[in-house]
Amino acid sequence: MPAIFPRWTNTLPVVLGLIAPILGAGAIFTVWYWFSPQYTDVGYQPAQPVPYSHKLHAGEMGMDCRYCHNTVEYAAVAAIPPTQTCMNCHDGLVRTTNPGGPYEGRIANLKKSWETGEAVEWVRVHMLPDYAYFNHSPHVAAGVGCASCHGRVDQMVVVSQDQPLSMGWCLDCHRNPKPNLRPLDQVTNMNWDTDAENYDPDRDPERKRKVNPPVHCSGCHR
Amino acid sequence: MSHYIPPTHETDPDPLQGRSALIKGDPSFAEITEAVARPIEMPHKRWILFFLPALALLSLLPISLGWLFWEGIGVWGNNVPIGWGWPIINFVFWVGIGHAGTLISAVLFLFRQKWRTSINRGAEAMTIFAVICALIFPGVHVGRVWAAYWLGPVPNQMEMWVNFRSPLLWDVFAVSTYFTVSSLFWYVGLIPDLATMRDRSKTTIRRMAYGFLAMGWRGSHRHWVNYESAYLLLAAMATPLVLSVHSIVSFDFAVSNLPGWHTTIFPPYFVAGAIFSGFGMVLTLMIPLRVWFKLEHIITIKHLENMAKIILLTGSIVGYAYSLEFFIAWYSGNEYEAFLFQNRAFGPYAWGYWIMMSCNVITPQFIWFKKVRTNPKALFVLSIFVNIGMWFERFVIVVSSLHHDFLPSSWDYFSPTIWDVTLFLGSFGLFFTLFLLFLRYLPLIAIAEVKSVMPRANPHFVDPDKKPASRDHHASHGEVSAKSEPEPEPEPEPEPEPEPEASKDEPEAKEEAEPEPEPEPEASKDEPEAKEDAKDASESDDTPEAEASSEDHAEDADADEDADEDEKEEEAEKLLFSPPPSDKTDAKKDGKDNG
Amino acid sequence: MGKRPKSFGLLAEYETPGDLYHACEQVRDAGYAAWDAYTPFPVHGLEKAMGLRASLVPWIVCVMGFTGAALGFLMQYWMAAVDYPLIIAAKPLNSYPAFVPITFEPGILFGAFGAVFGMLGLNKLPQLYHSLFNSKNFARVTDDRFFIAIEARDPRYHTEDTTKFLEETGALSVEEVED
Repeated sequence: MPAIFPRWTNTLPVVLGLIAPILGAGAIFTVWYWFSPQYTDVGYQPAQPVPYSHKLHAGEMGMDCRYCHNTVEYAAVAAIPPTQTCMNCHDGLVRTTNPGGPYEGRIANLKKSWETGEAVEWVRVHMLPDYAYFNHSPHVAAGVGCASCHGRVDQMVVVSQDQPLSMGWCLDCHRNPKPNLRPLDQVTNMNWDTDAENYDPDRDPERKRKVNPPVHCSGCHR
Repeated sequence: MSHYIPPTHETDPDPLQGRSALIKGDPSFAEITEAVARPIEMPHKRWILFFLPALALLSLLPISLGWLFWEGIGVWGNNVPIGWGWPIINFVFWVGIGHAGTLISAVLFLFRQKWRTSINRGAEAMTIFAVICALIFPGVHVGRVWAAYWLGPVPNQMEMWVNFRSPLLWDVFAVSTYFTVSSLFWYVGLIPDLATMRDRSKTTIRRMAYGFLAMGWRGSHRHWVNYESAYLLLAAMATPLVLSVHSIVSFDFAVSNLPGWHTTIFPPYFVAGAIFSGFGMVLTLMIPLRVWFKLEHIITIKHLENMAKIILLTGSIVGYAYSLEFFIAWYSGNEYEAFLFQNRAFGPYAWGYWIMMSCNVITPQFIWFKKVRTNPKALFVLSIFVNIGMWFERFVIVVSSLHHDFLPSSWDYFSPTIWDVTLFLGSFGLFFTLFLLFLRYLPLIAIAEVKSVMPRANPHFVDPDKKPASRDHHASHGEVSAKSEPEPEPEPEPEPEPEPEASKDEPEAKEEAEPEPEPEPEASKDEPEAKEDAKDASESDDTPEAEASSEDHAEDADADEDADEDEKEEEAEKLLFSPPPSDKTDAKKDGKDNG
Repeated sequence: MGKRPKSFGLLAEYETPGDLYHACEQVRDAGYAAWDAYTPFPVHGLEKAMGLRASLVPWIVCVMGFTGAALGFLMQYWMAAVDYPLIIAAKPLNSYPAFVPITFEPGILFGAFGAVFGMLGLNKLPQLYHSLFNSKNFARVTDDRFFIAIEARDPRYHTEDTTKFLEETGALSVEEVED
């Protein structure tokens, strides 16, 4: 009776012994990299019902963020503007756009919304899970610039997610907020450069309280 | 006196150990292999009969898990005060069952309880499958199953680590360590038997499969030395592990601040309960199996009786713990604790409480009667009650403590939904399916270990019948006699230091033990005499021993047996292999010393 | 030398543990080095008859076990007190009493790995192919037969003499196994 396995099979354990640690390390790396918001969420850029360009409005025309997202200083949520806000300026455009003209397709949904009174169904870009409680107002009050979390929206034709919004990313700033703080009147300034201005929040006479962000669980998971 | 009678009756002593033989009917090694391996190699019609219902039960598992993942844990009966419903009850139930296997393997191994060899394999398999069933429940109870890997400290970009101060995390580590170590222990024990299966296999697929799993085991004694060392150490490490695991499971409750859970008695009480339920399940499985697989001579009544005694002991500990909880509820003067226990025994869940009490405290007391504990049918019924009782124990602990918590406005009654039930039944399906697959493909009995505890496994054993231990005689008789006794003299010892104890016991023996210059093989002619003598020795060994080595002897002879082992070996060798000027008084004295 | 190139060595078969035991003593005393006994179960005391040294597995387990426990504690300390210092229930960051269970469990886990993989490593297993598997008789080593193999690489090995020697130790049969 010959042996069941040929002689070369004796090298299998060595091969497996070399492969196994690589597989283990690979599994951990897979979770660390591919399961992360850095990989899954950054760059999320859904098509919007109306091709509104932040680059045009906030960048070239220099509109303030709070013109549209007007609740950001006082509420948890930075409001998505109602159609009325658009119409403050675009009333004429909606009425005069020629059917079949270059802008017809682009503003069709806006026009429909204006006529029917139903909201434009904007697609949300920045999403946090339900178990994370986020409030815009204290962040704005502390002087965290819009661009710190949302990136240079004034350069985006179509808005995309710029930062991972993962818990580790939140904590980086909560543990060491200084680099992301700016003078309170510069929060919505997209061009303000923290490094260049060499700003020290501790010496700012405008600030009444020291910024002391929570790092305990129930700070965000309430 | 001319004939050695193989031990067939329970009280017949093993000639070398002076204890009743564990394996009945004095089978040869080949017969042991045959008895265990044959059922695996035969197509088993009855097996299919059990396997199909098990598969049907198992099919409930993916269905109820699928619905759970789709809908969320709202499909269960868990509500606000009773946030831990059936899932945690079932988890603790299965983990508890999973304790007997390692207990049998490790603790009994360390205590040199040789009777474990007949049941350890099946009990270990049961352990592993029960722990698999247990792991399902906390895994799906997290709600977001796709995030279940957060239970472990996996590097992630949340920059978040697990909370090492939480008993729930201790549980993750304890149960997963337990599962890993039990699996390793089981597999290491399986290796020699897988090799046996490999060498018996007729088809290429089986030879390859068993051969691959046996990893090229060839029974080398240089391997056995490392193997036995590793096995002993695994047992030594698994023993504190098995105690730690259910202690930590009990911390899930005991560390929280809830009347009914927050007691220091929980760890020992849970460990006793786990062993109790585990042995209950081992009996439930083994009693039918020993009949169906015709293994009554290997898993004997004695084995069942020993397990029943452990059930009696642990059942009594559990009963003691129940009463102590009540005592402390009163004695502590804590009115919340007192209310809870009154409510437990006489409140809305009184039915659960009294089921628990009658199954766990009253039922095992029947084991005091020898008629009950030596009757497999009675033990089977009893073990079912133990299983039921232990499930209800967890039900009572979880539900009756939670349903009246600190806020009376949220007090509620708990009712399971159909999905609770199907998931639980599905876990039984998984358990039975895995166990039946195990029965079908792997040896139920640890073949090598059973052989090693047989009297004939001892190198000093002399079979006066010269009953060939083989299936076929490929050695002619002439050859046998030629080889069997090359020299009647004791072999020259490499270390010429005779054991001092042995030497002072019998000075003559010492003289003989002195190295003789080159014994001649011609001595084979006086072999019959020597054999006769050895027989006499073993016979004279028998008579005084038979009485002395009844039950209680078997219970507590282990410690000295251990210590005396070397000395005994020495003596036994002299007794059986030296052709002494027939000196029966000496032999008798030896026999007594051995006990 | 009567050593043929393709020979692994000589395989002697014995019937009982007792026969094997005494044969082992003789092989040991004859001074052979590259030899081994093969048994279906561990025959107790055989290591003495073979003159083997104690196993190294306990040392591996000892080192691995303490390494595991140390790693377990350091992991908890680093994660809870260094990398993500988070105050939970007003406990100190290095709340070492709470770290005891997860110090103990990895200790056991690593110890068990040490025992199993240490045993496999010392035994050079898995070794799916071995020359002895070429022998038909050898299949009974996992059933009811006991073997001694003296390997051809042993300096004292001589096919005829060693065969004769093994036959004199009481072997049922002696065969030459090809490599």
